[in-house]
Amino acid sequence: MMILKRDLLHIMLFCVGYAALAALVGNSYYLLIMTLVPVWAVMGLSWNLFSGYSGLVSFGHAAFFGVGAYTVALTLQIWQLSPWYSLVLAGLLGGFGGLLVGLPTFRLRGHYFALAMLAYPLVMLYIFEWLGYQEVALMMMRERPFAFMQFENPQVYVYLAVVLLALALVVTAILARSRFGMSLLAIKQNEEAAEAAGIDTRYWKLLALCISAAMAGTVGGFYAVVLLVVTPFAVFGMLVSAQALVIAMFGGAGTLWGPVLGAVILVPLSEILHAYYGAKVPGIQGVIYGFAVIAVIIYAPDGLIWKLRAFFGARQTPLPASSVAGLHTKGSASLLACGVEANAAEFILEVKQLQKSFGGLQAIDNLSFNVKRGELLGIIGPNGAGKTTLFNLLNGFVQPDSGSIEFEGASLLKLKPNKICRRGIARTFQVAKPFPRLSLFDNVVIGAYGASHNNNQACMLAGAALQLVGLQDSAHNLPAQLSNRELRLMELARALAANPKLILVDEIFAGLDPESVQVVEQVLRKVTALGITVVIIEHSMKTMVQLVARFVVLDHGALLATGIPQDIVRNPKVIEAYLGKKWLAHAQAH
Amino acid sequence: MRLPLCFFMTARSFVLSLGLLTAFVYIPAFAQPAAVKVGLIVPLSGPWARQGQVMRQGAELAIKHINTQGGIAALGGAPMELLVFDAGDSVERAKNAAQRMVADEPDLVGAAGAYLSSFTLAVTEVTERASLSMLTLSYSDLLTTRGFYYVFQTSASGAYQSTNALPILLDIATAASGARPKTIAIVMDNTAASVAFVAPIKEGSALKDNNLELVVDEVFTPPLANATSLIQRVRAARPDLLLLLPTTVSDSKLLLEKMNEFGLGRGKLPTVSNGSAMGDPDLLQNMPAALLEGVMSVVGNWSLRGQEGIIEEYKNISGEPWMTQNALSEYGHMWLLKEALELAGVADKKAVAEALHKMDISNGAASYFPGNRVRFAADGKRIDAQLLVIQWQNGVPVSVYPDATAMQKIKWPAP
Repeated sequence: MMILKRDLLHIMLFCVGYAALAALVGNSYYLLIMTLVPVWAVMGLSWNLFSGYSGLVSFGHAAFFGVGAYTVALTLQIWQLSPWYSLVLAGLLGGFGGLLVGLPTFRLRGHYFALAMLAYPLVMLYIFEWLGYQEVALMMMRERPFAFMQFENPQVYVYLAVVLLALALVVTAILARSRFGMSLLAIKQNEEAAEAAGIDTRYWKLLALCISAAMAGTVGGFYAVVLLVVTPFAVFGMLVSAQALVIAMFGGAGTLWGPVLGAVILVPLSEILHAYYGAKVPGIQGVIYGFAVIAVIIYAPDGLIWKLRAFFGARQTPLPASSVAGLHTKGSASLLACGVEANAAEFILEVKQLQKSFGGLQAIDNLSFNVKRGELLGIIGPNGAGKTTLFNLLNGFVQPDSGSIEFEGASLLKLKPNKICRRGIARTFQVAKPFPRLSLFDNVVIGAYGASHNNNQACMLAGAALQLVGLQDSAHNLPAQLSNRELRLMELARALAANPKLILVDEIFAGLDPESVQVVEQVLRKVTALGITVVIIEHSMKTMVQLVARFVVLDHGALLATGIPQDIVRNPKVIEAYLGKKWLAHAQAH
Repeated sequence: MRLPLCFFMTARSFVLSLGLLTAFVYIPAFAQPAAVKVGLIVPLSGPWARQGQVMRQGAELAIKHINTQGGIAALGGAPMELLVFDAGDSVERAKNAAQRMVADEPDLVGAAGAYLSSFTLAVTEVTERASLSMLTLSYSDLLTTRGFYYVFQTSASGAYQSTNALPILLDIATAASGARPKTIAIVMDNTAASVAFVAPIKEGSALKDNNLELVVDEVFTPPLANATSLIQRVRAARPDLLLLLPTTVSDSKLLLEKMNEFGLGRGKLPTVSNGSAMGDPDLLQNMPAALLEGVMSVVGNWSLRGQEGIIEEYKNISGEPWMTQNALSEYGHMWLLKEALELAGVADKKAVAEALHKMDISNGAASYFPGNRVRFAADGKRIDAQLLVIQWQNGVPVSVYPDATAMQKIKWPAP
């Protein structure tokens, strides 16, 4: 809470300071620019809340901005509804627009998502032209200007804009410092890993888009109040979306103050260039502005705010989750222990006649095996045997063509990865992808969200997981400061923080030196000692022989053999699969 | 909160330069009365920069003429000074520019602009609150239906144009060819300007009132890929009159080329468009003048008979091949402001607005506006605003209607 309080204090100081400055300015032109700065800052924050935190680039925030602007303009024109009310309506409609846009569009990813978002404001633009709303003017209310948000004194607009900015900042601060922000950051880092860690990615993305769109709608409505004229190009135009994006990226996407910094610099800069050079050297303002943006993108690709922080030698950025409940890095590992009921079945996981093909490739071919509760099972097989596909089937990334997967007696088919994680199956990935700006601890906290009801509990679980893998002393370090071994252990800790009953470990030994292999082996033994079942994939048999209780050997997606390590290493079929027929004869000779 | 340094520097350097400026003008101020400032707010950057440039050249020429002819007599021969503001490429920029104009230049007595009607709408929201008169050539009816006192629309408004264009065209046809057209074809894009222009023809009773039959009614979405089928339909129907309403140069070119190919071009089929774009010099950079020959357009203002001297000088100064509606209107606006200052007898913006409202002139500045009479209704519409028709003749669009001020006689093909 400390960090959040500090944020709120900063927000208050900034906004009061800004308003006080406005009170000193008399020139109505400067006051207009001082009104537009917070307006675009809010638009930048809106974009940032969605795209900055989740990493899903939206080129279409103008759609929500425009809906807000037209809501205010048209309700005033048709029903004489005061902007004091219609601004709220604008926010609601904007948020609803976010929902409508999000539902179909989240089926797309990456560039396809960005391109689809680009289409929405274009569609709106043509719809509003077709409806005949090429130009809508907000009527001048001579009788009761105050009741219609029309003021003689331009300072009042600055104050109103600052109030909107304060609201947007507070909302962003609260969300960013909570499970919401962390979940989005996890999605940004690796959507699959986030889903596997128990985060319902679709839900969080939709919520983020709705809140962000509501912000854009409200500020779009206020923009109409300031501009007094609404045209499709002014509010749905490509420049509106681009402005939101440029302001957030320029200042620093995914940060609280980045968009504010962007707006405070870019809005007056472009306006001053325009005002003082536009009439002398027409177009020069666009050239200078463009170069300024390019320069920042080259020299500070993550945004100016990081460079400024580095320049002023500011402390390390506050780390989101650790701020929420304080650090519980010294949690007790026993918190993760699996209580096994007396009458529990012997098998925790039963796989029957599993089939999966990708086009003509039979990746998993009629595979059946069981996992005993509490055992350390190794799944081995040469490259391409279908090991990772099997994991993807088990944790729900891929649905099988036929067959069944039962975990503790209940089917896992058709469940989303985050639901499977909540049932108690966690996994690690072959390639660790930590979020570079989050501490080790926070990287692990993300894994705990599926299994916890509040941040405090999440931190406890994360602490326990770090304790178990022995990284409690590096909890504050950033991933860049970690060794390869520590990254692997972090990945394991993130899976453990979900408080799983079964953990799927994907090639954790790959590329580790012998000493590290021993350390990781120790950790895995400790994990099984807590009653957690471990299934581990590896293609090298050597390390596994010492570690696991039982092997399942795959070849070309089918079960080749199963049994204790001593039997497996002598199994001719296994030797043939790994080394070929020639070596089989050689091995048998010995 | 920390404002960027440049913000303060600009404010300070502005004050500084204002001080220097005052010092410099102090000495000549003894010699002659202080200059009276008027504003021109037009897009000088962005996609409409060329039109803004043309408007600026027109206004500058007027200021030069006014000052060489002795300035404002009622103010002891005070010269007029033009301050130009860039309305940029968006409504927001235009509004910012207007705010800067009224904030930084409190002693402006009047202004003109701002080309696009959405810009003018935003600009007049500012000038109205600052009690500054704004003269505009923008057509939008919304400009004069907001109950504003300080807006003056010198062109015929959009609604006036669309309801009156058809009867005028029919009259012209009858007078020129001896036969009143009985059939009409409409080929248009679906942009706002075109849709608004044909609304009274398609939705109202204009066809019935004028005994006209609509034989082709084609609407396309720009940009056009191929105009063959559209023009084929026109040729098959053989209308007496074609309303051709493209908005982009590329569509105009495709349509006119195809008409030429089908033997309908070069004035064989009476073809009428709307707006000054069909008379823009830019067209000649994209198509040969022969394609445009005979094409007519309904516009709010154009160079008229009696303005040859001005046009010649304008062509020399600007390098433009002729004087369009935009240039001529701003030339006239400056003269109207001068006229209002003479009437007001004082360099005060409120007095100028009052003078514009009281003004009723039929000579001098009035000759730069069709109808040759300038008086404004309470809402700011020019009461005597008329339509002009221009026609491409020998590679130049010239005014052909109304007859009294037309540069050339209309060429209407015999039916």
